[in-house]
Amino acid sequence: MNLETVRKLIEGSLTPEDYVNSTFDKIEKFRNLNAFTYLESRDKVILEVKESLKNRGRLAGLLVAVKDNISVKGMPTTCGSRMLKNYISPYDATVIKKLKAEGAVILGKTNMDEFAMGSTTETSFFGPVRNPWDPSRTAGGSSGGSAVAVATDIVKVSLGSDTGGSIRAPASFTGIFGLKPSYGTVSRYGLVAYANSLEQIGPFAQTAEDLALIYGLISGEDPRDSTTVKERPIDGNSIDMRSLRVGLLVDINEASEPPVRSKINDVVNRLSDQGTIVKEVKLGLSDYVVPAYYVIAMSEASSNLARYDGVRYGHSIDGDGNWREVYGKTRGEGFGTEVKRRILLGSFILSAGYYEQYYLKALKVRTMLIRQLNSFLREVDVLISPTMPILPPKLGELIDDPVRMYMIDVNTVIANLTGLPALSVPVGEVGALKVGAQLIGSYLSDLFLISLAGTVHESMHGRE
Amino acid sequence: MRIAVNDDLVKKLESLSLVELSQDERSRIRKDLEDILAFFSKLDQLDLSEVEPTFHPVGAGKTRKDVPDDPLPVQEALLNARKIKEGYIIGPKTFGD
Repeated sequence: MNLETVRKLIEGSLTPEDYVNSTFDKIEKFRNLNAFTYLESRDKVILEVKESLKNRGRLAGLLVAVKDNISVKGMPTTCGSRMLKNYISPYDATVIKKLKAEGAVILGKTNMDEFAMGSTTETSFFGPVRNPWDPSRTAGGSSGGSAVAVATDIVKVSLGSDTGGSIRAPASFTGIFGLKPSYGTVSRYGLVAYANSLEQIGPFAQTAEDLALIYGLISGEDPRDSTTVKERPIDGNSIDMRSLRVGLLVDINEASEPPVRSKINDVVNRLSDQGTIVKEVKLGLSDYVVPAYYVIAMSEASSNLARYDGVRYGHSIDGDGNWREVYGKTRGEGFGTEVKRRILLGSFILSAGYYEQYYLKALKVRTMLIRQLNSFLREVDVLISPTMPILPPKLGELIDDPVRMYMIDVNTVIANLTGLPALSVPVGEVGALKVGAQLIGSYLSDLFLISLAGTVHESMHGRE
Repeated sequence: MRIAVNDDLVKKLESLSLVELSQDERSRIRKDLEDILAFFSKLDQLDLSEVEPTFHPVGAGKTRKDVPDDPLPVQEALLNARKIKEGYIIGPKTFGD
């Protein structure tokens, strides 16, 4: 297990001072990547690690980085936005309570696309996050900071949120593991809402074992989130590759950039060599899933972001006026361009005459997709595709073309629309750049997926 | 169906969304909205007349018992508010100019 850090801290072979100092050295070394929006002070972190070691929780003394849209009491929660630049959370999200109860120490908050609206962490008010393997390229988004914190070994594990691929995209681009859990298995209490019916909090880790451990600790029904489910994910038994049936999403794979496709073909061939039955399946709906996803996401966003008025919290203009003027100016100033685009479009889609034309149609495509994926998953145990259809793009390459930016989410949004669990497992490199494979499983098969990801990673790693 | 997005429509959406744009921003966003809506109109190609919509991936939400559960102390709840008076938040005028 990679969480050896916890064992060493408990044994005393690693002192809290050495652990925290080496962590801060790494933060300094990778400061140019812009992964953090907030850090606790070194002294405070050392004290907290010492305090935590008195109770031997499963994460005793372990430093964890948290995406800046998840509330941690006493820390800022900016959502990467000017709107919440000075907002301090007065309470802990349920996932944070659970991690703290096991001894985790929150090191700081990580940079993200503004309100999680982006796929490259370039829409952040605090500037873009850079890819550790090529700083001229994006680290993926929207949870780019959390992924970079793990990929650079500043922390072993971190938390992100995934509305349309925001955990899996940066996991893939930075070469680590990232899980978008089955919808409803992780509480969203304390996660700043963007699109409720699509998003889940999930972990990033360097190994499949760590991913399973953190997922196990943060999941569970929560009376404070009415969409959490009682059912627990089924156990991830050891995988017998000879009886495994894998469905390759062939149309999605073929639409990917050649170097990405070739890596995924390597994975599939390797699985085949090990006796796994590989079946090619065709999604067929791939032209429609991205429009359907964005129609739903923007509709939910326009409603969720109505709360930012600068009165109870958040950015507010100086000056008087009636409420319409004050709210309009406050929101015009506080939100960035992509957020405004999505709010305006959401308002349009939900307005009379267009609701049926866009919103209802998108919800119907969602029904078709659920039927389609469930029918595949009756024939196979898991679906595989590239996590991202492209290699990490250069910073600035997509940011001015929203439709091209949205299109790179085509592989990942299908798991959010259906509520199915999905993860990204690192499967190799093209030059210095990382490639991830996406595994999608049946509802509540999260632990099985993680276990399979470990096996896939091992078999690909052996080949390198 | 391609929807023509003009300045009036953008201004109407600004009003519905309570988001005021600068003229520069309005011109830029107008073009983006048109492109994005054209992209969304791909959905018109599907015959969805026999398909039910899915609003949410899990069934209807459940409610918990309506009992108070460790509410935030008033002082903490007001920490992020800009203007406070005697335990209340002061907002902008709701009528008049």
